[in-house]
Amino acid sequence: MAETVPSLLAQGAAATRAAAHLPPAAHLPPAAHLPSVAHLPPAAHLPLAAHLPLAAHLPPAAQSADATQSATRPAAEGFDVVVVGAGPAGSAAALTLARAGVRVCLVERGPFPGAKNMYGGVLYGRVLDGLLPGWWQEAPVQRWVTRRATMVVTPTQSLTVDFRTTAWGEPPYNGATVYRSDLDAWLAAKAEAAGAVLLCSTTVTGLTRGPTGQVTGVRTDRPDGDLPARVVVACDGVNSLLAKEAGLYRHPEPEHFTLGVKEVLALPRQDIEARFGLAGREGTDIEILGCTGDVPGGGFLYTNLDTIAVGVVLQLPGLASSGRRPEELIAGLKAHPAVAPLVVGGQLKEYSAHLIPEGGWDMLPDLAADGLLVAGDAAALCLATGIWLEGVNYAIASGAAAGEAAAAALASGDTSAAGLAGYRHRLESSFVLADFKRLRRAPGLVLSERVQRRYPQIACNLVERLFTVDNPNPKPRLLAAGRAELRRSAVRARDLARDAWTALRAFG
Amino acid sequence: MSGPRVGVAMKWVPLRVEVDPLTGAVAADPRSSGASGADLAALEWGLRLAEAWGGEVLVASAGPTEADGLLREALAAGAARAVRCELPAGAPGVLPAGAPSELVAAALAAAFAGVAVVVCGDWSLDRGSGSVPAFLAARLGAAQALGLVALWPEAPGVVRAERRLDLGRREVLRVRAPAVLSVEGATAHLRRASLPAMLRARDAAVEHLPAPVPDPVAAGIPEPPGPIRRGPYRPRPRVLPGPDPGASARERILALTGAETGRTPPQTVRLDPGPAADRVLAQLRTWGYLE
Repeated sequence: MAETVPSLLAQGAAATRAAAHLPPAAHLPPAAHLPSVAHLPPAAHLPLAAHLPLAAHLPPAAQSADATQSATRPAAEGFDVVVVGAGPAGSAAALTLARAGVRVCLVERGPFPGAKNMYGGVLYGRVLDGLLPGWWQEAPVQRWVTRRATMVVTPTQSLTVDFRTTAWGEPPYNGATVYRSDLDAWLAAKAEAAGAVLLCSTTVTGLTRGPTGQVTGVRTDRPDGDLPARVVVACDGVNSLLAKEAGLYRHPEPEHFTLGVKEVLALPRQDIEARFGLAGREGTDIEILGCTGDVPGGGFLYTNLDTIAVGVVLQLPGLASSGRRPEELIAGLKAHPAVAPLVVGGQLKEYSAHLIPEGGWDMLPDLAADGLLVAGDAAALCLATGIWLEGVNYAIASGAAAGEAAAAALASGDTSAAGLAGYRHRLESSFVLADFKRLRRAPGLVLSERVQRRYPQIACNLVERLFTVDNPNPKPRLLAAGRAELRRSAVRARDLARDAWTALRAFG
Repeated sequence: MSGPRVGVAMKWVPLRVEVDPLTGAVAADPRSSGASGADLAALEWGLRLAEAWGGEVLVASAGPTEADGLLREALAAGAARAVRCELPAGAPGVLPAGAPSELVAAALAAAFAGVAVVVCGDWSLDRGSGSVPAFLAARLGAAQALGLVALWPEAPGVVRAERRLDLGRREVLRVRAPAVLSVEGATAHLRRASLPAMLRARDAAVEHLPAPVPDPVAAGIPEPPGPIRRGPYRPRPRVLPGPDPGASARERILALTGAETGRTPPQTVRLDPGPAADRVLAQLRTWGYLE
């Protein structure tokens, strides 16, 4: 085999040398005298530029896709509002605006809405009741969550609060597992049906501004790609370039972000239903604490129809300093004795990762500027408090609120930051900012070392002690056992009291 | 536009399929379907030829209604007209990914009547054989050049084309209209459509051509001879270098199997970690790795 490569190369070189002695193309007879297909000498003598033969014939616009050159050219069509990003927030904003009779363009960088998304998670649908009544009859739902569990684990133990109810398996339902790629496409189709113009495979590269600095539209990566608009709604995701360009983020510290890493495992539907005790379209959502070793974070496990999603969320600085790889941590979670029986035999179908804004209230940016609103993950509207781990519902609610505020500002003729201030008022009067404000201390508490490692150990040891039958010793007293575990864990009473107070203020 | 018209044939195919790891079932998502790289290259070459000749591009696709999106993208890129051809209903295998080549060619030929040069991708992604351009050329009574890696327009209706041959060789052809040219995928990148063109193309009309009556005999295309074997797709084996064909049979077998080749016989040793490390080092020295 090793001898073959040089011999082939030698043949190619010989062919090239032979071609070099052939007449150049200029010596060819006129085309009119040629038969329909004429065999001509090889083109090895042609210069490299000849392989781009038609550039000279092309008009300038076709030769260059430089958006900066096209910045001064007018766009063919104007819109009142441009919504950037066809995720849940963007589609909700476009839907609301289109229903209000506003000319709105929904710009998506993927070839279709949802193209770049990870397979999904849980959608809490109450937020859709007002936007799309009866949504559950047509939404692309995998399973209705009827079993919700919170599990704390140590390397060898697990303690689960496992709740299930049949009420969540009936209309109007509570939560559902969905694939985001399906959900996003469905929501965007609703916006399009309402009149929004969906523009895919187009990346927004920046904002355009007027003489006073007011946002006047967006710049895209297409030739002649400036899209003017009176209001821009930035729903461009966790790493929002538009919100950053507008200077809305003051404190984008890395500790406010986590990396969500997920595996989708294929399992026969009947196996999933047997393992999780489900029937029909019932589904399970398990949130896990203490499963990420020395990296602050958590884990999750969701059931779909014939797949399960298992993964971890990892705080960025902790992940970086640990030297661990995310796939190691997922492997550790899957090997845990409480999780392994649930995932055994699953065939890996997809592995994906995505940043999540988990800083809560403390990382919220300014939500509006002159001619600009931000919503969804772009506005860091994702809530991770241990008990609740939600984002899509906040994205939809904030997108709809942004749409309403933009429509109102357009109607009043004031699209400055003051004119768009109704957006924040709408969020403050809704569950969105009410939740974030009340739970502002929860993210820090949940990601603390004590909650991540020590309290799960204390809880598991305490339960193990209580449930261990140690005859002929008498049964342990609960308070005494608790004090003993606290002493063993070296958690100081004042730290416990402080955490309890923080939890009471956050969740109480 | 006074120059010759250029046709471009494009096929709507799944660009990404999912294989169920449990059942092996293959599923394609219409959302991730579109034109292959070869068809996009064909469109780019078609646009370049039309620009050089002062003509216009007619793009056609034989496929389902979802192919309209693909045709609108072609309109946004610069095509003047788009036609979606229906395939005959009820014909065997009439599916976007499985229609017989002669039926596809018959449908496309109706759209390309009067077109000077038709540019196609060399073969489609969904296990295409590259036979549609040949059938199309037969239908149109046109010359065919395949496996092309570069085109140069000359006088209107005349194209100089570079064709890939085996072993890295090339040949240059001069092709006159009417002609069907099939190009490889990496030969050109489709230009990026401008934003105004994208917005205009959203509402552009895609013409609709009814299905032709399938009659390959009348078109001069003979029926395939003999029984057709049906079976799973098996790619052709790669040609690998063998032993010297001038050697005897025994020598060739020895060369293939490696028998009688000098080598150190495998050994199994069971040692404690320290002596095991010493043994490994000694063996490496024997082989010359630690000298």
